[in-house]
Amino acid sequence: MKLLEYKGKELLGKYGIPVQNGIVAGSPEEITSKINKLTPPYVLKAQVMTGGRGKAGGIKFAAGIDQAEKLSGEILGMTIKDSVVKKLLITEKVDIKDEWYLSIMLDRVIKSPMVIFSPLGGVDIEETAKNDPKKLVKITVDPFLGIKGYTARYIFSKFGLDKKYFEDFALLLSNLYKLFTEYDSTLVEINPLAITKEDKLIALDCKADIDNSSLFRHPDIYEFREGLDEDVLIKDARKYNFLYIPLKDSSDIAVMSNGSGMLMSCIDLITKTGAEVRAALDLGGGATRERIAEAIKIIFKDKITKYLFISIFGGITRCDEVAGGVKLALEEGLENRKIIIRLEGTNKKQVLDILDSIGDSVIFAEGITEGVEKLASIRSTR
Amino acid sequence: MSILIDKETKLIIQGITGREGSFHGQRMVEYGTKVVAGVTPGKGGQEVFGIPVYDTVRQAYEKTGADASVIFVPAKFTAGAAYEAIDSGIDLVITISEHTPVHDMMGVYHYAKARGSTLIGPNSFGVISPGKSKAGFMHDGIFLKGNVGIMSRSATNCYETVFMLTKEDIGQSTVIGVGGDMIPGTTFIDFLSLFERDSQTEIIVIIGEIGGGDEEKAATYIKDYIDKPVVALIAGKNAPRGKNMGHAGAIVAADGTGSAEKKEEKLKNAGVLIAESTEHIVDLIKGINN
Repeated sequence: MKLLEYKGKELLGKYGIPVQNGIVAGSPEEITSKINKLTPPYVLKAQVMTGGRGKAGGIKFAAGIDQAEKLSGEILGMTIKDSVVKKLLITEKVDIKDEWYLSIMLDRVIKSPMVIFSPLGGVDIEETAKNDPKKLVKITVDPFLGIKGYTARYIFSKFGLDKKYFEDFALLLSNLYKLFTEYDSTLVEINPLAITKEDKLIALDCKADIDNSSLFRHPDIYEFREGLDEDVLIKDARKYNFLYIPLKDSSDIAVMSNGSGMLMSCIDLITKTGAEVRAALDLGGGATRERIAEAIKIIFKDKITKYLFISIFGGITRCDEVAGGVKLALEEGLENRKIIIRLEGTNKKQVLDILDSIGDSVIFAEGITEGVEKLASIRSTR
Repeated sequence: MSILIDKETKLIIQGITGREGSFHGQRMVEYGTKVVAGVTPGKGGQEVFGIPVYDTVRQAYEKTGADASVIFVPAKFTAGAAYEAIDSGIDLVITISEHTPVHDMMGVYHYAKARGSTLIGPNSFGVISPGKSKAGFMHDGIFLKGNVGIMSRSATNCYETVFMLTKEDIGQSTVIGVGGDMIPGTTFIDFLSLFERDSQTEIIVIIGEIGGGDEEKAATYIKDYIDKPVVALIAGKNAPRGKNMGHAGAIVAADGTGSAEKKEEKLKNAGVLIAESTEHIVDLIKGINN
């Protein structure tokens, strides 16, 4: 679960990490009513998940209220990559004299938190890693020890940083680590971590990623996610504990399975036939009649999706239940749609009878490969 | 032989009185697994299908000297249950549940390493040595005793493969679900040497997927230490970068780390046969067996 900048900064503030005064608004009226809490000049920042928003015109400066209102009208509603800007963060502009980079991430390879620091802030860390690798340090943290004083000392000594910032930095690093662990983060990044003219450290931007599996203990993040402007099918699917993944818009094929691995295998095989996949749905466990029917209905809510490839194999899956679910979904009338289904499990013999009673909108296949072949052939004949 | 579990393995089921724990517990007993005890806090003294239940793993261990535990508790309690099992001296700990917080498992991972316990999962279907013993929720009907050792990040791709192998009368020595999460307790590299030394295993299969670096690490190890033929499948070639495909671990980083191409290349260089699909795994194995 990636957080928008304003939400990330909210967490930083909660952990005593300095951020600029700011307001979040979704409309010009809201801006007008809130902006007098801030002292000009202002920075206006589009709240989108995609990077490169500065280059796309999503970050602007305003000297006073009038200009801020005018510019926010331009930013709100604009499209940056695929995201429409629905929210704006307006902060007080600060004068800075230097910029650093600081992040903590969960490193999969070493299975531990890793602190990354660079005295070159304000640029992508990948750029620094490529162009100036000596200006970057990665420090593994033992999760049972956490951050100790020597981590900050190491960073300061290595890069010869001015000692007058040491106390503030050490505290900030330890607070950031606290946030990282307490909020089940896989990433918290402050870039840039700026030094103001008054010699204070301040976080000018924040990227954070929170483990989805931990949201049961973070109601605030759960609420943030529910409030996000997501694909309605993703939200519908989540209600049933399905995972709906939109993929290639140009396609008319959806894939559904009872596990992530098989889902990926199906997509790989379909792609090999030269086709693309529009969306994938992971049913998870419990392939009951009702769940299957709901999943099919969710997939076909997307009017462009014409073909659904279903592959289900859980060992103890009851095939008659799955077929019954397909029948149930089709009773709602899904004209012009084709379902190709392959099933493995118990009571498989009854499946053909059930599917026969549905008619020719459902095609049965023996095995994934045959299913993918049948999918390709009916698409080419239509 | 076979690895990790066999007829003699004494297994504890944590969460034995729960819906999943009792359902699959019964199936494990029927399969011939030596289930010696169950653990559910507050239910000590009861019996479930003839298996004694204890309040804590320590008590179960003291009474039975169990070697292994399979944990059937909800995700939010999984880390606690795993710490308890490891701390009580259990050598092999298998965690089943999906959606376990990754920070929880990071802690358990390091604790298991420090204590020398083998941790499998989370998000694993368990371990089965066909014809001998199973610890997990896999449908045992599709498995057959034989010479192929399998490790898989995905349950469904593994079942698919096993189903087709068994249909061709090709059996399996031990099949391990390493799980689809970001931080699996153990992964391919941890079992390669066991399979290499196991007299029953003649062919090793790795069913991997995009994300992380476990297949790459396995490739390096195979090149130096494994003489038995290895077949590998990497699922998720066509999943878009940066998009989570259901398994928390199946995600390619923006810079391309964890991509199927890189994994296949490394494995190929280590002499591993690359399968294009689960069906192709079976073809490759038939080729080796002939």
